[in-house]
Amino acid sequence: MNGICGITLRGTQALPVEVEVEITGGLFSITVVGLPDTAVKEARERVRAALRGIGVSLRGRIAINLAPADLPKEGALLDLPMAMGLARAAGRADWGERALFMGELALDGRLRWVRGAVPAAVLARETGVPLYFPKENEREVALVSGVKAYAVESLLDLLRHLSGDAPLSPVQGARFEEAEVTAEADLSDIKGQFAAKRALEIAAAGHHNLLLTGSPGSGKTLLARALKGIMPPISDEEMMEVLLVRSTAGLPPEAGRTRPFRTAHHTASAVAICGGGSALRPGEISLASRGVLFLDEFPEFSRDVLESLRQPLEDGTITVSRASGSVTYPARVLLVTACNPCPCGYAGDPVEKCACSQHSLERYRRKLSGPILDRIDLHVAVPRLKPEELVSLEGSCGESSAEVRKRVCSARERQLARWSGHGVHSNAELPERMLRKNLDMEPDVRAFLTEAVRALRLSGRGFSRVLRVARTIADLEDSDSVAVHHLAESLSYREGEAFAAAGWRS
Amino acid sequence: MTGKNKNHLEFGAEGERIAANALVQKGWKILGRNMRSGRGELDIIAMDGDELVFVEVRTRSIGRMLPPEQTVGPRKIRRLLRAARTYIDRVSYEGNWRIDVMAITEAGGERRIEHFADVTMGMEGGFMG
Repeated sequence: MNGICGITLRGTQALPVEVEVEITGGLFSITVVGLPDTAVKEARERVRAALRGIGVSLRGRIAINLAPADLPKEGALLDLPMAMGLARAAGRADWGERALFMGELALDGRLRWVRGAVPAAVLARETGVPLYFPKENEREVALVSGVKAYAVESLLDLLRHLSGDAPLSPVQGARFEEAEVTAEADLSDIKGQFAAKRALEIAAAGHHNLLLTGSPGSGKTLLARALKGIMPPISDEEMMEVLLVRSTAGLPPEAGRTRPFRTAHHTASAVAICGGGSALRPGEISLASRGVLFLDEFPEFSRDVLESLRQPLEDGTITVSRASGSVTYPARVLLVTACNPCPCGYAGDPVEKCACSQHSLERYRRKLSGPILDRIDLHVAVPRLKPEELVSLEGSCGESSAEVRKRVCSARERQLARWSGHGVHSNAELPERMLRKNLDMEPDVRAFLTEAVRALRLSGRGFSRVLRVARTIADLEDSDSVAVHHLAESLSYREGEAFAAAGWRS
Repeated sequence: MTGKNKNHLEFGAEGERIAANALVQKGWKILGRNMRSGRGELDIIAMDGDELVFVEVRTRSIGRMLPPEQTVGPRKIRRLLRAARTYIDRVSYEGNWRIDVMAITEAGGERRIEHFADVTMGMEGGFMG
């Protein structure tokens, strides 16, 4: 252990990289070994210029080794540990203990913002090693509690701190700021659609996936946007996960304590949604983890995207494998999807006539494969409003988002109280084994369920999803046991029922 | 032709003399001049403190197409490096070394001396191999 460590990212995890420096006589040159990428190789020029700026002029043949040798290193965040290694070899800096350094150097020695400061802070906390990082990253690092970290503005400041000339004080921990729940639409602004509003409430309470089907202009998008306003508060632990993913993706932390709400256009690629790329980054599904991912015009997404959603929807994590290694990102999303019942949009509509051929209709429905639909717990029809409903001018249309949110919050609290000992945050993530053991069903329920499974030809997964949703409906009613009417409502949201209502089964 | 050629060689030798004098005045220790090393030639070999320096001297009168320092191109640098390495091997030198270029410009009896230190810095990619 020579005490100079940098980091490189794998997934949302920071791995320590030890920096070793050797200087021998000869013509000036800097060689970096240990699988550096282009940004790391180019660090030579930044490091040389920055060191020159503080009066360290490098001479001779310089070899920098980044260990472990078989781990690919990426990004400019290794500039600072390399500069510190050289400064120490040149006798300009010394520090006793092991330390973690991260930061990109400007030519004048300033430290620039880097991605991955939060994973680095977590690593520093786990290993009990002090972390020196760019001042521009201070806001996100402050949110990691219990870490000894110093925000550094420039290389010179860091040297003066280490020599004791101008000590910096460690970063003061900050809490996630409470934020107002804001949404573009309030439930009370949306006319009619009481079934869909009820489904939104259940989805928010238990973190269940949702598919809204309806003709154009019936309000699917508006309903999805209103979901943001009724989502339950996010816990510190969940917030930390959101922060980690954002830092890894190179995004600044959210302004306050809110659940992510991300929308993706249907032209998005599988890499944009699921993560990947040559320099592995998290995708939208990971950025939306612990919150909502809204995919409007669901069948228009490419087949690759739709099918790649299967595994993350089931596991709550996504594993991206590439030649350079495989990484796992969180993907615990509440997936909200919206689609038309057919390509022209009017199948089953009471007013407009559907103009689709049987062939195009079949192709459209085939796009949504059974395995995907099976993973969506709540299928809801969003029918066209009746003329009287549409032109009604009353100010309010049912409960406001705030009232619904109150019920959602208490239902979520019940879940947390019940499952918190098991590391489960909502009914949707409940493992199969625990689900069956803890369902607490009333005696007449079993017969009802047997009949329902037979009639609806439920799959094993479909069955457990029905049970999870029923558990959430019972939680919304403050009920400890699951009764027949909870299950009946849950079954009504199964695939097929909504399609039938929207005219899919004619 | 001979007359002109001789003039040109003398002009160059004069430049090297001027350069060497300037270096001595700076406190450098001259180890050798116009030394053949393998197939190349090293104009001035000197010690700048504890660092060995190979100096390539370029002399030109003003009005030529290029300023003298720009006449040292990649091929010339590769040749200088080869000659310098041959020299270092021969004398078994182990310390730091570098290559400098001095440009002497003559304009109407007036001379300008410019010194470019460590011209290979930052060339790791192209010239070091």
